[in-house]
Amino acid sequence: MEFFTIAFSVLAIGGAIGLLFFKHPLHGAMSFLVTLLSVAGFYALLSNKFLFILQIIIYAGAIMVLIMFVIMFLNVREKELIDENFLVNKFILGALLLAPFAYLLFSSVANYTPQNIALAEDFGTIQSIGLNLFTEWMFTFELISILLLGAVVGAVVVAQKESKNG
Amino acid sequence: MVNEILFVAVVLFLIGIIGVLIRRNIFTVFMSIELMLNAGNLSFIAFSKDLALNSGSSIAMIVMAVAAAEAAFGLAIALLIYKHKNSLDIDLLNLIKG
Amino acid sequence: MSYLLFIPLMPLLGGMIISILYILGLKYNMKSEKFFGKIALIGPFISAVLGIKLFLDTNANEAVTHVVFEWMRVDELALNLGFYVDSLSSLMVLFVTFIGFLIHLYSTKYMSKDKGYGKFFAYMNLFLGSMLILVLADNPALMFVGWEGVGACSYLLIAFYYGDSENVKAGNKAFIMNRVGDFGFVVGMMILFFAVGVFGFDFASLKANAHLIPIELVYIITFALFIGATGKSAQLPLYTWLPDAMAGPTPVSALIHAATMVTAGIYMVARFSFLYSSVPAIGEMIAYIGAFTALIAAIIALRQNDIKKILAYSTVSQLGYMFVAVGVGAYSTGLFHVFTHAFFKALLFLGAGAVIYALHHEQNIWKMGNLKKLKIVYIPMLIATLAISGIPPFAGFFSKDEVLLYTFASGHTGLYIILLFTACLTAYYMFRLFFVVFHGKDESFTHKHIEKPPFEMSIVLQILMLGAIFAGFLGLPEIFGGDNEFAVWLQASLTYPVNMPHVSHATELKLMFFGVLSSSIGIFIAYKKFYRYGEQKSSLFMKFIERKLFVDELYSVVFVKTTKHFSRFLWEFIDNIVINKIVDYSSYSFAFFSKRVGSFIQNGYIRFYLVYMIIAISLMAMFLEKFV
Repeated sequence: MEFFTIAFSVLAIGGAIGLLFFKHPLHGAMSFLVTLLSVAGFYALLSNKFLFILQIIIYAGAIMVLIMFVIMFLNVREKELIDENFLVNKFILGALLLAPFAYLLFSSVANYTPQNIALAEDFGTIQSIGLNLFTEWMFTFELISILLLGAVVGAVVVAQKESKNG
Repeated sequence: MVNEILFVAVVLFLIGIIGVLIRRNIFTVFMSIELMLNAGNLSFIAFSKDLALNSGSSIAMIVMAVAAAEAAFGLAIALLIYKHKNSLDIDLLNLIKG
Repeated sequence: MSYLLFIPLMPLLGGMIISILYILGLKYNMKSEKFFGKIALIGPFISAVLGIKLFLDTNANEAVTHVVFEWMRVDELALNLGFYVDSLSSLMVLFVTFIGFLIHLYSTKYMSKDKGYGKFFAYMNLFLGSMLILVLADNPALMFVGWEGVGACSYLLIAFYYGDSENVKAGNKAFIMNRVGDFGFVVGMMILFFAVGVFGFDFASLKANAHLIPIELVYIITFALFIGATGKSAQLPLYTWLPDAMAGPTPVSALIHAATMVTAGIYMVARFSFLYSSVPAIGEMIAYIGAFTALIAAIIALRQNDIKKILAYSTVSQLGYMFVAVGVGAYSTGLFHVFTHAFFKALLFLGAGAVIYALHHEQNIWKMGNLKKLKIVYIPMLIATLAISGIPPFAGFFSKDEVLLYTFASGHTGLYIILLFTACLTAYYMFRLFFVVFHGKDESFTHKHIEKPPFEMSIVLQILMLGAIFAGFLGLPEIFGGDNEFAVWLQASLTYPVNMPHVSHATELKLMFFGVLSSSIGIFIAYKKFYRYGEQKSSLFMKFIERKLFVDELYSVVFVKTTKHFSRFLWEFIDNIVINKIVDYSSYSFAFFSKRVGSFIQNGYIRFYLVYMIIAISLMAMFLEKFV
């Protein structure tokens, strides 16, 4: 397991760094895809079968596809790209700014002692997660459905052509 | 193992923040936001395994749903902005200045 | 004594009702003089009747406090609206209401055809009410209410003919000088409260606890209170308002500036006699100030040409006498002079008013003359002038003589000489006035038209004349067989100093003789100069006197002009330049910095806003570190 943990970590962080430093958004998207897949691998390592699949299907398969579609739709060429220089310098500056916050997070992570409670037989299966979702998180589920509805409607409305009379 | 994964999650989160900070391209910014959401998801799942609860997974699912909705909607807006400004620079969107 | 409340209340109510009616009358153009006159007299009449009843009901040895309601209670300060009736206040009420009523009656005719008729009586009633509050108050704070009230009414009445700005200035001068004195009064009152106020701040308690006050504080308190008296009773250096106050109608001068308000200072000293008797040094200061005031006022009066101004200066002079008396510790003597002075000075003013009325508002004595035939005014004026000059057996003789007696007996021979000389001057200028007004010209000289004074005016003159004749007998000293009932009556309310001097009858007779002699010399000189046709030589010294010793000019330069220039400096320099610049600069810098800094920070770029957010988060994280 160690090997996979390290491998996936490297891939994830490497992908993220790549997202940060690639000028062309499409290259960044590709890099991000690597990150997403390695995160899916993490889910698998964490015995969460359902979310492993879900991550690949939704994130890598739907959201990233959508983003890449839009990027390619806009047909952004090399010369039209924005000039973004000194990314490394800005990165270092940003890291410095975030240092206290980062310290807070890291220290809290480091001080966490894992409890390693024994997993149930059906941990991570669709059934158990589904049951949990529809009992404990019922209300949230309904709200999310409304949210999705709103997003769909909103997206359609926003991207409409202007009406001929307006 | 959980500690290492949490560590990765934190790192990804911070990289996501810096990404939003330093990039001017709309899509890169957007993907950095997705990166942050993923980092959060990762920590949820890690704790879910650690505490043997399914709630973490449910929450992660919900977050993914939200991310999907946001992606759809946000990209529509990004398209509109491109149509308007003919550029992908978010620094051109400074109408709230003053 | 439940009727006690009505004594000050009736004039106050009357004043309010008249003012409302006057304002309504202005609106509906109804000004019936008879109507206002009748209403105006109701308040003072009831007060006078009740005042007499009060006097008869009062026990000379007992002080009664009648509390109407509790005015305020703050920590240790507990003040009531209450009335303190002892022999002193009942006496004051008696003659204040009596003379007040008479003067109201007189004014119903004197002020006729004046367009502010109703207003006048509103103010007069208000004044009477305030004076009664002053006299009857049971604690210094309430006394101060009355004190301020009479000051305010004095201002209102002096500036009555407000069309002429000189009158308004005179009113202002009176009020402002009064204010200067009031400051002293308030300071004295405050220190008194801090010293013994915890045990109760009404006069009865203060009198009982006076021995608890450390002597240094008593010096300061009495000094401060006396400053108040200086302002109110027109002594040096705050006397210059009184001659200017003659700009008001004559009944006002009679009531306020002769009989009542100006005597408030003496009343105050007598009321606080439990303090003054233990500090003879302050008393000495008071006596000196009184004596010099008397002298200087008399000197100025020698060369005045306006009938009312002469009387005004004579008031200042006589007030000086009263202060000398209370200064040397003879409180009842001072009050005796107040009493007699009220009668003959009011008579003099009202008589002068009758003369002015008769000659259609002429006030320059050199334009008068040969009014002997106006017997109804002539005789009272003669009696009053004899009274003020201290000729026996009229009232002024007894009181003035007693003042001289106690001054001599206390050992202040210098003051005695000054007062004796002033008596001579008093007789001189009063008879100068008398001869010039009533004799003075050839037999053939007649005025164009002499308006006979109406009944109300002359009856008042007659009544006051009786007072001027007989009031003195109330203080008849032992050598003439009386037993000075006046002093005996006041005995219990006053606290006398420890060693009151005593003189033998022989000395008393000698002093009396000198007094009468000096007055007679004054009368004789006046007779010689003015009986037929008086002429006034004008030497340099006389010119100096004529200009009132340039005191007003001195005050103007020292106080008025410096204040004016200082204010102008403050306005033009500090306000316009300094403060304006500061305000302008602060607003300009705000605008400048907000443009530079604000525009820089709020530039519309979201990434910058994110940076701010992250800075905030980092700061919070640093704060939270401590708890991790």
